[in-house]
Amino acid sequence: MSASITQPRRRGVGTPRWLGYAFVLPLMLWLAATILIPLVQSVALSFQNVRVIGTPGEFVGFANYTRLFASERFWEAFGRSLIWVLGNAVLQTVLAFAAALILKQSFPGHRVARIWIILSWIVPTVVVVIIWRWLLSASGGIINYALVALGITPEPIGFFSTGDGAFASVIAINSWRWFPFQAVILLAALQRIPGELYEAASVDGASTLQKFFNITLPGLQSVLFVMGLIGTLMSFNIFDVIWLLTQGGPSAATTTLPVLIYDTGFRQFRLSQAAAISVVTGVFLLLFALVFMRFAAPPSDDGEEGRI
Amino acid sequence: MLRRNSLMILVLAFTLVLSVLPATAQSPVEVTLWHMEQPPHRVERIQMLMDEFNAANPDVVVSQEPQNWGEIYTKAPASVAAGNAPEMLFGIPDFTPILKDLGQLQDVSDFIATLDEAHTFYPAAVAPYSYDEGIWAVPLYNMVHSLWFRNSVFEEAGITPPTTWDEWLAAAEALTTDDQYGVGIPANRQLYTDQTIYNLMINAGADEIYNSDGTLRFANEATVAAYEFYSDLYQFSPPDSPSWTWGEAEACFANRTCAMIMQFTVITTYDTQAEGDPADLGVVAIPTSADAENPGAISYSNGVMLLTDDPEKLEASQRFIAWLMQPENYGRFLNMEPGLFLPVTEDGATAESFWNDPLVVKYRSQVETMVANSSSGRLFGFTNGNTFPSISAISAQNLLAQTLQLIVIDGETAADAVAEGQVLMEEAIGE
Repeated sequence: MSASITQPRRRGVGTPRWLGYAFVLPLMLWLAATILIPLVQSVALSFQNVRVIGTPGEFVGFANYTRLFASERFWEAFGRSLIWVLGNAVLQTVLAFAAALILKQSFPGHRVARIWIILSWIVPTVVVVIIWRWLLSASGGIINYALVALGITPEPIGFFSTGDGAFASVIAINSWRWFPFQAVILLAALQRIPGELYEAASVDGASTLQKFFNITLPGLQSVLFVMGLIGTLMSFNIFDVIWLLTQGGPSAATTTLPVLIYDTGFRQFRLSQAAAISVVTGVFLLLFALVFMRFAAPPSDDGEEGRI
Repeated sequence: MLRRNSLMILVLAFTLVLSVLPATAQSPVEVTLWHMEQPPHRVERIQMLMDEFNAANPDVVVSQEPQNWGEIYTKAPASVAAGNAPEMLFGIPDFTPILKDLGQLQDVSDFIATLDEAHTFYPAAVAPYSYDEGIWAVPLYNMVHSLWFRNSVFEEAGITPPTTWDEWLAAAEALTTDDQYGVGIPANRQLYTDQTIYNLMINAGADEIYNSDGTLRFANEATVAAYEFYSDLYQFSPPDSPSWTWGEAEACFANRTCAMIMQFTVITTYDTQAEGDPADLGVVAIPTSADAENPGAISYSNGVMLLTDDPEKLEASQRFIAWLMQPENYGRFLNMEPGLFLPVTEDGATAESFWNDPLVVKYRSQVETMVANSSSGRLFGFTNGNTFPSISAISAQNLLAQTLQLIVIDGETAADAVAEGQVLMEEAIGE
């Protein structure tokens, strides 16, 4: 009897082995058609010298990769991508934590607030961009109007007129767009931490900070791990917000790797070189994911070292 | 039995053929036009003309799909490669070499000859599309930059509209107040900035980017002078100019934040979103430097490319274009944006349908100035009878604008930036 409870069921009685494969086959075919084939084509393209889409190319070996690694623009974009990921991670995490901790409290209208906060996330990117461009405009934008009217600045600020200003503005706008999503996830995780733990800590005289570092943070470890992994990969690949706001400018100050890939492929008309950058970026992100999962995974529930 | 089955199959096949044949014979030829005239009133005007054409030509159905200038350089080649390109595509001269390389673009020399016989094209409109022993688009309308301002603003400041660079810089300084920027000029890496900086290059005597042998001559003293002057003017422009396109400049002018802007037209915006007083709206040619021998402004002859080799669809497309060029239709087509699109044919320039539009009547003197300015218009890469298809690589990357950013954003000197700009251009057109 005990054996029938503890041993996992491998397969239903009479269920043919092929049925399982049949169920996953359509999905595998779909993934192959939409991911694997384009991926293979990208790799093949990166070894050719195709410029405009649709034109024939010749095999050039590693020439695109050699040119790529010698390119100052590539390494600058790579560095900017790292700053972009880090800046977004820090800003979004701080904002998301603050929002989640506030929303966890019970106050009049907290249910409405929990729904309302995700508005910025569900609004289409292009709308977000238009709104922020209007708000930050130096000729008629309400933020500049308020800054000047309140005497904070003597004249309107060109948020996108300097490289550093544009990069900081784009990070801030992207973080504003995405932090509610993280806040909702954190809120869900916070609500899973038993209240008794906080009560016991209070009885023991623990301070708010001690409770945060010894109860809240460990309780969120699994969620933070997933957010760290998925968030980094998603953030690294963000293209739309940057392109719509600055098109990688001014003077390439907001050109991250995804922007560089687009720019190389569709403005410089060097499709093969863009493919080479894509391949290198893909390999880098794959390595990052492997290292992150190897060293940052939290311990599993049974107490073993986290391995995925 | 076998004979009966064969007979049934034969009857069935015959019935099927009969049912399909009439439908095939009667189904109209469908052709699609992609254009980048996205504002709703332009789309509406094009649709109105298409509806008229379709009603008069029941064997053809022309439809439109508005596109975005920001994406068309990507989307059009991809659509050709995928085999679902539109039959007709609006474009500008430097767009044609990209599509020509894909092998789908049709030579319209014979068609142009027919149209020319009926309407007489201005040679300058056809020239940028004529290269590699063919003509690769039918010119449809012209656009030219001018300097726009309010007469009252100049009168209040006690100055006259500028004709020289010295006067222009002095005016920009004099008109800069707490509530107004003296001039609005973009510094975005975008087509609008390419256009405004090329205005200054023309008026500095640096309109030739290429030598006659096809090598680049961008890095020269006249170009440096143009970029230096642009950066001098730029200090009187709003701080968010590095992210501007045409719309922001027009808005800046309409809401009186900018005293002067370089633009194809501001008539519609001024009429609908600002005072709408034709007596106060000023327009002059782009001011020129003391050294310029051949002043002018950037000018685009916009055309329509034909991307189908299907004889039926080609004939249907040509029939639609020929219908559009008829004087009674052509003026209405140009006035989808009154005061912006200028005629490229002699009979179009005198067509009542062009001059009778209410907005053109109201702003007739401004439109006449624009038409006069267009006589000295030119486009980089297509000057003095030369056409260099490699300009499309320079244009697509907005390298004129990128060179400007090296100065106004990165703080390089004009000489260094122009030298670097030439290197970027050489890389762009190289293998």
